[in-house]
Amino acid sequence: MSSEFARDDVPPLTEAIQPGTATDPTVGSTDAATLTVDGHEVTLEAGATLLDAVTAVDTNEDVPALCSYDREDNIGPRSECRTCMVKTDEHGLVPSCSFPAEDGLNVRTDAVAATEARDVNLDLVLSNHNLRCTTCGKNGRCELQDAAIANDVAEPRYGVLDNRGAYEPIDDSSSFIQIDRNKCILCNRCVEACNDVQVEGVLRLEGNGQDTRIGFQNDAETMADSTCVSCGHCVTVCPTGSLVETGIVDAATLPVPGFTQKNSIGRSIEPSDENTELMTPMKQDDWSEKDGQTSTEAATESESEDWP
Amino acid sequence: MAEHILSESVVLRIAESTPEQEVLKAVASATSIPVVKVGTTGYPVLEPLVLLTKNGQTAFYTSCSPEEAAEIATTLDNGNLRIEDADAIVEHPPERPYLPVPDLWPLQTGARTVLRRCGWLRPTHPEDYRISGGFETVDSDTDTVMSAAHSVTGRGWGDAMTNTPVGTSWNRSIDADGDPAVVVNAHGSPGDRLLLESVPFLPLEGALAAAQAVDASDIIVYLSEADEQALECVTATVENLPTTDTMVHVVTGPDEYRAAEPTMALEAIEGSQRLEARLRPPTPDIEGVYSRPTLIHTPRTLAQIVHAASGASPTRIVTVRGDVQHEATIEIPEDGSLATARTAVTVDGVFKGACVGGQFGGLTPDLDIAPTPNALDAADLGTEGIISILNEDRCLVAHVGEQSRFARDENCGRCVPCREGTVQLTKLLREVYDGSFRPDDIEELLRVMQSSSMCAFGRDATRPVATGLDHFEDEFVAHADGRCPTGTCTTEPQHEVPQ
Repeated sequence: MSSEFARDDVPPLTEAIQPGTATDPTVGSTDAATLTVDGHEVTLEAGATLLDAVTAVDTNEDVPALCSYDREDNIGPRSECRTCMVKTDEHGLVPSCSFPAEDGLNVRTDAVAATEARDVNLDLVLSNHNLRCTTCGKNGRCELQDAAIANDVAEPRYGVLDNRGAYEPIDDSSSFIQIDRNKCILCNRCVEACNDVQVEGVLRLEGNGQDTRIGFQNDAETMADSTCVSCGHCVTVCPTGSLVETGIVDAATLPVPGFTQKNSIGRSIEPSDENTELMTPMKQDDWSEKDGQTSTEAATESESEDWP
Repeated sequence: MAEHILSESVVLRIAESTPEQEVLKAVASATSIPVVKVGTTGYPVLEPLVLLTKNGQTAFYTSCSPEEAAEIATTLDNGNLRIEDADAIVEHPPERPYLPVPDLWPLQTGARTVLRRCGWLRPTHPEDYRISGGFETVDSDTDTVMSAAHSVTGRGWGDAMTNTPVGTSWNRSIDADGDPAVVVNAHGSPGDRLLLESVPFLPLEGALAAAQAVDASDIIVYLSEADEQALECVTATVENLPTTDTMVHVVTGPDEYRAAEPTMALEAIEGSQRLEARLRPPTPDIEGVYSRPTLIHTPRTLAQIVHAASGASPTRIVTVRGDVQHEATIEIPEDGSLATARTAVTVDGVFKGACVGGQFGGLTPDLDIAPTPNALDAADLGTEGIISILNEDRCLVAHVGEQSRFARDENCGRCVPCREGTVQLTKLLREVYDGSFRPDDIEELLRVMQSSSMCAFGRDATRPVATGLDHFEDEFVAHADGRCPTGTCTTEPQHEVPQ
């Protein structure tokens, strides 16, 4: 790829960060707006999306909006799961989480096409999700589980990810954070928490199609070989049991004899040696090679000045 | 050599698309009269094509070997036109600015408006283009250009205004905050490649006019890194453009189908290593490349704008491929019929149907349809400008299955209806081979992919299956019964489908 159309005003600290995701435009309305959702009138400030309107009223149908995250401005909307589709007279079906709240819109959550789109898309998410809730540490506090229950999903129309040959091993190589990609819904919250909030530049989205997955910007295969500092922000934003703190991976599993979180998947990557430092070994190397050494030299110089 | 090619009273033009240029080399060493390389006419079946022009007469010699071409040149050097060997002769005024079209198949097929300079002018010589009436739009007033933009709809899925009047987009860019930019998206389409290789000044003139209309300071020509000839040609052309206030850049992206999608084009231009679609709204004409208001048009769209500004009627550039002996790129008037495109090729075998609209085109047994967005949309066909001819040996169940699998493997991976929907769609189609044909389930999935995918990739990926079910449902039923009517699919049950 060649590019001679570059810009030179990239903000500091972020120029080396490559999250692998698109640079979305600024979503949300440009002005305050009054609109109706299922007949209820709502008035919203500038910057609002249709999902803000939907959550402000008692809608006729449940809108899961599974991948959306409303607790931090720097995260989302990713608008990937499309379980937030609503119908508008003016624009047809739109994803409410990323569509601006335009003045005068007539929004319906109960239009047949909108309900069908949300249901089918939720089932499509489930089709690629390992649904072994009983051995999952997030059982009972999982946003996907909540959405499935709220939508009365009894039997997902496309089944669930239940092919042991297709499972990715659980990455248990880090002392602090475990990754089970078989439960990942690719909402991208963790990547944004890592890059846009913590500015750590560890996680990224990689691959395309069925191979799309959460990976590491230093091309590492395991969490232990990544440059993770174990801040844990990714764990706090993960909607499912995909990113869990190592100590509580079994916290919410049901006591079914013979079944554990690990043998439900079958394979896992274990830590190669005892590593109880907060930083991964890669981050420690990174630290001592660059900043560590430089700061030691600087300290020696200042020491000789301060202490004649 | 004179300043422009039209003032030469005797000249030999060579059109050949092979990079070796063997005919050109053979002719140039055999004669002292001017020999020039021109762009392809859009008909590889005629090439290498030698055009011999003398005293208002042009002789056409098609499919010339280097030896034959050298002989023609030597005879001409002795003062004679070898008329008896020519495949066609046409008389014309001495300084005719466009290719004189003889009664020669398939050149006489369709209408040549946008493509009229192809095969006649040296592609990268600005004086050739200027003397043929080029660059007039650059000097036109903004109202003329704007009204042309309102009359032209975007061509191809790489255009941010596919099937929609582009003037609307220009107005949004004018009203938006920031310094606008214009992207010429030439990624992946054969019609756009033809324009860049044979008449590159035309789309660039359109881009300059657009840049002036919206007051853009940058034009970025974006194409696939695999299109080396077009890249070479457009790079040379950019250096010979008339000087304006606009900077013109040339940027390449990866040779992937999805890289032509307008917002993925922006990602590639910004240097992203992994391409995925961006959210809309706001549309790129409000917030595009590096957050600047950005027009994204294909070369075909920009060429149409130039012609509309001069009062010409709109046309469609259509490439015909598939089960044909030679691919052909033909121009047809918008009030014409796609059936004309079929007459520009020789079908291999017996015509069964066609996939209209490129990779994710729609299937139809009948090509007698106007090439307009409305007519094509009514038939659920695509406007991509690519028709794949399918002969009677083609199994359409296998055909749509392959397109579904392509969608599954090549999508960007961002949104669920496309990423997971194409996986389930491919499974549902594989299950037909196991005797389970569930048209209602397939159609439900198609509806949701169509209505909720983030970009045109996922929306269009539904079209081959939807039209396949519309027109050829009996073939699906036959496969579910264990029979492939064309005998191309194995009758053994397939067991690869994971449950």
